[in-house]
Amino acid sequence: MIRLQNAGKGKEYVGTSNAFIIAQTVIYLAMYLTGIVPFIFLLLVAWCSARPLYPLPSRRNDRNKRPLQTFRPFNIAHRGSNGEIPEESAAAYMKAIEEGADFIETDILATKDGSLICFHDVNLDDTTDIVHHKEFANRKRTYEVQAVNITGYFTVDFTLEELKSLRLKQRYPFRDQQYNGMFSIITFEEFISIALDAPRVVGIYPEIKNPVFINQRVKWSGGKKYEDKFVETLKKYGYKGSYMSKEWLKQPAFIQSFAPTSLIYISNLTNLPKLFLIDDVNIPTQDTNQSYWEITSDNYLDFIKEYVVGIGPWKDNMVPVSGNYIETPSDFVARAHVQNLQVHPYTFRNENEFLHFNFSEDPYNEYDYWINKVGVDGLFTDFTGSLHQFQEWTSPFLSREEDAHKLLDKIALLISKFKHA
Amino acid sequence: MASQSIVPFIFLLLVAWCSARPLYPLPSRRNDRNKRPLQTFRPFNIAHRGSNGEIPEESAAAYMKAIEEGADFIETDILATKDGSLICFHDVNLDDTTDIVHHKEFANRKRTYEVQAVNITGYFTVDFTLEELKSLRLKQRYPFRDQQYNGMFSIITFEEFISIALDAPRVVGIYPEIKNPVFINQRVKWSGGKKYEDKFVETLKKYGYKGSYMSKEWLKQPAFIQSFAPTSLIYISNLTNLPKLFLIDDVNIPTQDTNQSYWEITSDNYLDFIKEYVVGIGPWKDNMVPVSGNYIETPSDFVARAHVQNLQVHPYTFRNENEFLHFNFSEDPYNEYDYWINKVGVDGLFTDFTGSLHQFQEWTSPFLSREEDAHKLLDKIALLISKFKHA
Repeated sequence: MIRLQNAGKGKEYVGTSNAFIIAQTVIYLAMYLTGIVPFIFLLLVAWCSARPLYPLPSRRNDRNKRPLQTFRPFNIAHRGSNGEIPEESAAAYMKAIEEGADFIETDILATKDGSLICFHDVNLDDTTDIVHHKEFANRKRTYEVQAVNITGYFTVDFTLEELKSLRLKQRYPFRDQQYNGMFSIITFEEFISIALDAPRVVGIYPEIKNPVFINQRVKWSGGKKYEDKFVETLKKYGYKGSYMSKEWLKQPAFIQSFAPTSLIYISNLTNLPKLFLIDDVNIPTQDTNQSYWEITSDNYLDFIKEYVVGIGPWKDNMVPVSGNYIETPSDFVARAHVQNLQVHPYTFRNENEFLHFNFSEDPYNEYDYWINKVGVDGLFTDFTGSLHQFQEWTSPFLSREEDAHKLLDKIALLISKFKHA
Repeated sequence: MASQSIVPFIFLLLVAWCSARPLYPLPSRRNDRNKRPLQTFRPFNIAHRGSNGEIPEESAAAYMKAIEEGADFIETDILATKDGSLICFHDVNLDDTTDIVHHKEFANRKRTYEVQAVNITGYFTVDFTLEELKSLRLKQRYPFRDQQYNGMFSIITFEEFISIALDAPRVVGIYPEIKNPVFINQRVKWSGGKKYEDKFVETLKKYGYKGSYMSKEWLKQPAFIQSFAPTSLIYISNLTNLPKLFLIDDVNIPTQDTNQSYWEITSDNYLDFIKEYVVGIGPWKDNMVPVSGNYIETPSDFVARAHVQNLQVHPYTFRNENEFLHFNFSEDPYNEYDYWINKVGVDGLFTDFTGSLHQFQEWTSPFLSREEDAHKLLDKIALLISKFKHA
């Protein structure tokens, strides 16, 4: 039991030892108390409920995967390739990996029975077919979330099994609707699975989403709260290590949140790098009720940098917009960089309604501006494929160095011929 | 000479002097300098109505922006005014791209005309003199595009358009269209029995445009003449050997002059016939690769059939906005360019966003860069070796 529990060698040996011990005990007890038939039945039950202890053949963890690129800004697939496929579905994440994302990003919320799921909104109305499920019609509620009353169907009022019966749909009407009704909500663990199954190293970028609301509505046993379960899940799959450490590079991860106390709290639980998200100018932090101006001040950056490696602001606050034209950038990036904080703004989208006129309705011009003029360190994008193409075409991976080395080798060879003559 | 006759004589001399064209070359006309030549190794980047994605279509500013952004050709539509001037303007009527409705002095010029079997009500260019049209101001056609230049620019003439091309710091081709010739010739008359097509070619010749496709003279001042009307193209083939392109409208629209259907003019027989007069065809892109549910389907065989007849294909029109991009392209205009250039294999593209196409081409098929680098390194290697050779 103890041998199997050892997660040091491989995270694939992830037998839930607790469940196994309990099952074993029950079986012995049953054997003693009753007879053989129930015993065999219980044995089968125990067998089926315990997790496999052999490594999955698809888990190519020992192979040499192409490592994470670290020489140019990170391409963060915001909710997966949700420009093409409904957000936060398995398909959207697999598409993002196919399209070249460095990191796949997700928002973690909780269900009524304490499961962690990948879902952005606290309510199900905009991205699922909940309204078509008559069996849940009586679950409609009105809750106050960050000082705003929201009416709808909330994830925290459904069990995981119930949520799994729903189907995801594309949030924006002008995007492809053809996958509506095909995909389910996935769990945090399923999301991690997708990243680990990738043929190259793909990082994860989960968000501690609405922690104040979640902790009000959902309770876990053992006095644990949402942030504890969040980090527990990451650790279960072997995610650890400070930014750019050897272990981190094997399984890269950033933990993001709008709530500073959550980030500070988990800094005692994990040394994985964290990113502090900043909402719009008129929205105070949900946990500390601090204003935009306070949390973007030099003092605050100086304080929060003990806990986070970077900041994630809304891009139109970093470079103000007027009449759909961008104006002079604010000094935010400069101030953050001075404090050695990375800047990962959100969110880049290809559709012309999101592109300011300076960019000639060309998303590549927008990427060019943010990467080469503003100098950000990572970008949350709904169109990870486009960003990847832009980066491949304008800052390709080591190609020049390889060519140069090859030619130097050739020159050396040519010269050596004559040297010994 | 009596003293009374000297004054009129001097006056006439002055008049003759002022009206005659200057006979010295303008200092800005760098025709003798070595301009960077037209690229001919990858599909042509044709700035459709100038950079009208950003600036009101067919204005001087839109064309200058297009040249700045790297266009190979600047494209325009030529219409005529009441007094016979040739102007750059797309619609037969002024309502959608000018501030005509705000000009109360022209309120009584509203008309209804039948143009290609459709009744159009509005203010028509053929009912205004050039001077009157010059008092109007252009505006951006699409509401979702930048409106900040509305009211700033005037309609330009064909000659002004040509001027912009010739003034460019590199060789920039022109791509004018013989637009609505049936309608124009009905409404506007020129002296000497000339018609619209005659004046069109006259203007080109005046500025030195001549030569067959890829000839030395053509490469100095490249030009394509395009039209939806086959008889116009056939007619001008007697007047100029500049390359011509036959445009094809939507499937339900017959040719305005010969009333032939889409199916007839895209047939092998017709391509075989028209290729005597034109070097290429310009179809609407969604007819070449059909669309269903905003997804593209299997391409039609049109490009293959055209290429077999040695005809170029220049489809119209490529736009960056996601409402024009089919879902296969992930709302990324560069994916669309990639598909049409590398999968369909077209020879030129009419685009509202010449800057984006230029970037795509520069990043994926740059101009001679590999060759230059290779040559430089070979030179370096040769130098290194020669050092030892003589030792």
